Amino acid sequence: MPARRSLATAAATAAVLATVPGCGLITAQTGPNTLTVADYYTAEPGNTALTEILRACGEQTGVTVVREVMPRSQLVPKLLRDGAAGTLPDLVLSDNPDLAKLASTGALLPLDGRVDTEGFYDSVLAAGSYQGELYGVAPGVNGLALFYDRAVFAEAGIEPPTTWDELRAAAAALTEGSRYGLALSAIGTEEGTWQFEPFLWGAGAELTDLDSPQAVTALTFWASLFSDGSVSASALNWQQSDVAEQFVGGHAAMMINGSWQLAALDAEEELDYGVVPLPTPNAGDRPATPLGGETWAVPRGERQEQAVELLDCVLSPDHMYEWARLRADVPAHPDVAERLVGEQPDLAPFVASAPSAEARTVDLGTGYPAVSQAISTALQRVATGQLDPAEALARAQREAADAS
Amino acid sequence: MTMTPRLARLSFYVPAVLYLAVFFGYPLVANVVMSFQDYTVTSFYDGGAPFTGLDNYAEVFGDELFSTTLWNTLVFTVASLAFQFAIGLGLALFFRRHFPLAGVLRALLLLPWLLPLLVSGTVFRWLLDQDYGVLNHVLLNLRLIDDPVPWLVSPDHAMAAVVIANVWIGIPFNMVILYGGLTSIPPGLYEAAALDGAGAWQRFRHITWPLLRPVTSVVLMLGLVYTVKAFDVVMVLTQAGPADATQLLSTWSYQLSFTQLHFGQGAAVGNVLIVIAMLFALVYLRAVRREQAGR
Amino acid sequence: MSIPRATAGARRLGLTLLALLIVGVLLFPLYWMFNASLQPSHELLSIPPRWFPDHPTLDGYRAAFDSQGRHLVISLFVACGNVLITLALAAPLAWALAKFRLRYAALLLFVLLIVQMLPGIVKANSLFELYSELGLLNNTIGLMFAQSTLSVPFAAVLLRAQLREIPTEVVEAAALDGAGAWRTFLRIVVPMSRNSVITAGLFAFLFSWADFLFAVTLTSRDAITPVTVGIYRFVGANATDWNALMASAVLASVPAAVLLVVAQRYISVGLTGGSVKD
Repeated sequence: MPARRSLATAAATAAVLATVPGCGLITAQTGPNTLTVADYYTAEPGNTALTEILRACGEQTGVTVVREVMPRSQLVPKLLRDGAAGTLPDLVLSDNPDLAKLASTGALLPLDGRVDTEGFYDSVLAAGSYQGELYGVAPGVNGLALFYDRAVFAEAGIEPPTTWDELRAAAAALTEGSRYGLALSAIGTEEGTWQFEPFLWGAGAELTDLDSPQAVTALTFWASLFSDGSVSASALNWQQSDVAEQFVGGHAAMMINGSWQLAALDAEEELDYGVVPLPTPNAGDRPATPLGGETWAVPRGERQEQAVELLDCVLSPDHMYEWARLRADVPAHPDVAERLVGEQPDLAPFVASAPSAEARTVDLGTGYPAVSQAISTALQRVATGQLDPAEALARAQREAADAS
Repeated sequence: MTMTPRLARLSFYVPAVLYLAVFFGYPLVANVVMSFQDYTVTSFYDGGAPFTGLDNYAEVFGDELFSTTLWNTLVFTVASLAFQFAIGLGLALFFRRHFPLAGVLRALLLLPWLLPLLVSGTVFRWLLDQDYGVLNHVLLNLRLIDDPVPWLVSPDHAMAAVVIANVWIGIPFNMVILYGGLTSIPPGLYEAAALDGAGAWQRFRHITWPLLRPVTSVVLMLGLVYTVKAFDVVMVLTQAGPADATQLLSTWSYQLSFTQLHFGQGAAVGNVLIVIAMLFALVYLRAVRREQAGR
Repeated sequence: MSIPRATAGARRLGLTLLALLIVGVLLFPLYWMFNASLQPSHELLSIPPRWFPDHPTLDGYRAAFDSQGRHLVISLFVACGNVLITLALAAPLAWALAKFRLRYAALLLFVLLIVQMLPGIVKANSLFELYSELGLLNNTIGLMFAQSTLSVPFAAVLLRAQLREIPTEVVEAAALDGAGAWRTFLRIVVPMSRNSVITAGLFAFLFSWADFLFAVTLTSRDAITPVTVGIYRFVGANATDWNALMASAVLASVPAAVLLVVAQRYISVGLTGGSVKD
């Protein structure tokens, strides 16, 4: 009888698979003296860099390190569940805006005086702090800059823009056929918000006051790039990795993106690109970029001392250098950063903006996610022409206030 | 090995009932309780979450997004179900005919089910892209459109785009179950009708459709259940955008919980979803009962 | 039949061609996945689109082979386990609902429909807490049971609709012969409805094979994660290796596609058996 035969086959298959010696299909065992690390570095080069550095530091401090790697969107939900069940990992590597919410649970160990952060950029330490206490330390950070296609600029005979007006003019001038002047991410998540923040802060607006005249100025300028046709409407659905693909594919003459793209861009032999700081409203202003990157935190627990020891090793100058080199991050210590710029000159604009980079959660703490959501929705409402900038920001301010 | 008849009867459904209580009852109760609490990130760690009565529901119903998401969910569900069912039924009827390779080709149509939604969603993002997507390319070449359609990035088209993708994912399910229903209709009935001179439409109208009724209602009911809570396909394709144009109750619930960390409100929206489905399930059951009574 | 054999043959061939066309259109996204697995990421953005890979590369497959073998075995193991659990729980329940005249049958059916509405994330979160108490995290048996929540209510509702069609006289006859309820069920009811049992099992397999949410919630150790989670490995924090992602999706589809075609043959057997009888 076919039904029973297939049942029997399935049963037999399951039984055979389960009993193959050493196959370990039921559970994953970990030995004693093991530290677990939760992170979302699923892809290269971060994946290998992290594994290698953890292995080296594990040997140095005498522990085995096991990584629990998951997709980015799953990390915070997992940590919250772990917190509820009392099964937190020993170390966490999370996106720095998420640190405030993790720290607010009380699950994290304060790191002041426990790890050596002597001489680190103040901006890096600010991004790791919650209510005046240090909970997270990043070995490397990143920020945004303007990438441009040298060949296209040479052909058009123009210089990379330094002001908003120049950016708008260049983007319009270089839009031609299937190539847009500029690519950026306007997706309805934190990625879109983070790419807009340099405009917002550049105009002098604050995250706490979304409907200020300065904020309207910023959004009006940003939207003009879309209404000019210099940015594809598809940007509403682009993550920053998509933005980089557009640029590499020759569909954009410029892009706003982060230092982490440098490694991938260098691998493209036909591409000759340059990197300059993000344009500012007026010549000579300092670019106001948000501080990006992942930060290490140590949940309280039985093995917290060993975890701190391991973290100290990860933050040591040599490992910091190696980490930043592989990921094209800005090292958290100015001396190490300077050393790395010698090897990777394209990193210079990012290093230059690191001391003044702003941590997104400094003013808002755990209120940031709601504000971020309100901003990215406002961006989309304006880019699709549903609302004008002032209306969209007024609504965003209302939504942000409602949510907090 | 002998059981009393009563014990034997119990042993058919008691294990399943216990299973339902553990694997569904527990999460359901937890979700309902959470919707009456001010549940924050801190609650996860220290377990404390004050009860706040109906506050979460008041917040959710008072939100400007509530009516938008409700309407979007309705449009998405009705459109997805209608197209999935119609196309699925058409294919089931087509593959009912005997021709070489029918079985293998029919089996291959199930393949879309095997793909993780990350993969099929990403492929649809490429196919539907405004500038380099295959769909626009083909439509332009066929002169069906003059300008590329901004499928995923215009509030007017994004819903159509997610429905297209979701219909594609749902066709195999509809086809297989309806096909299973068709095979249980005795071929003798058709032969008799053919002898009586009934045309193809008449045979469908008077034999296939009435005899397929029980299966049809199961397919539509299950389809509804899966469509109302569809989540991944929207998140991959449009991230519920642009500007909330494809924000559904399911995606909104997720965003409230895991982006904005208002777990109580997220749970409340989830419960709204469950209540809506309950209403439809009641309609279905009434139909089933009437049918049984009619026998 | 009065139609000459040759004409009938030509008509059938025509139907096959039409079927090929339909399958071609519906499976086009799969072709695109295959196409993408053979080209570097940014070439996917060509205008006009490239219908064939101009510069095919096997890099994606190399990366996928290196990393996905283990995950495929886990997926297969878990999916088979889920089929067993699903049929063992759902088939008897469906029979009871169809024929036992239970007082609460309607209520139970209602519950079966409603529970499928629970958002996956809600179930996953609760099961996580439950499993961490029971020590079932990072355990494939635990994962099978979690995934069975996707297929048990579904299979029960589906089977109930089909089992109701079995004539009560057949069962009564068996009871008169002295067969117990279980004996009747296993020897007569299940074989008579093998098509729908196989269909239910097939769907249980597919649900399990495609599950991502439970897998990512309840397993965190690489050695024990199924292939859906393995595929996410190529979606990085900052860059995405589409090429390798699509290649591993192709690899993950192959074993399951083979299984589909095999299961299909059983359904065909049932089909011809039915038409011969009439």
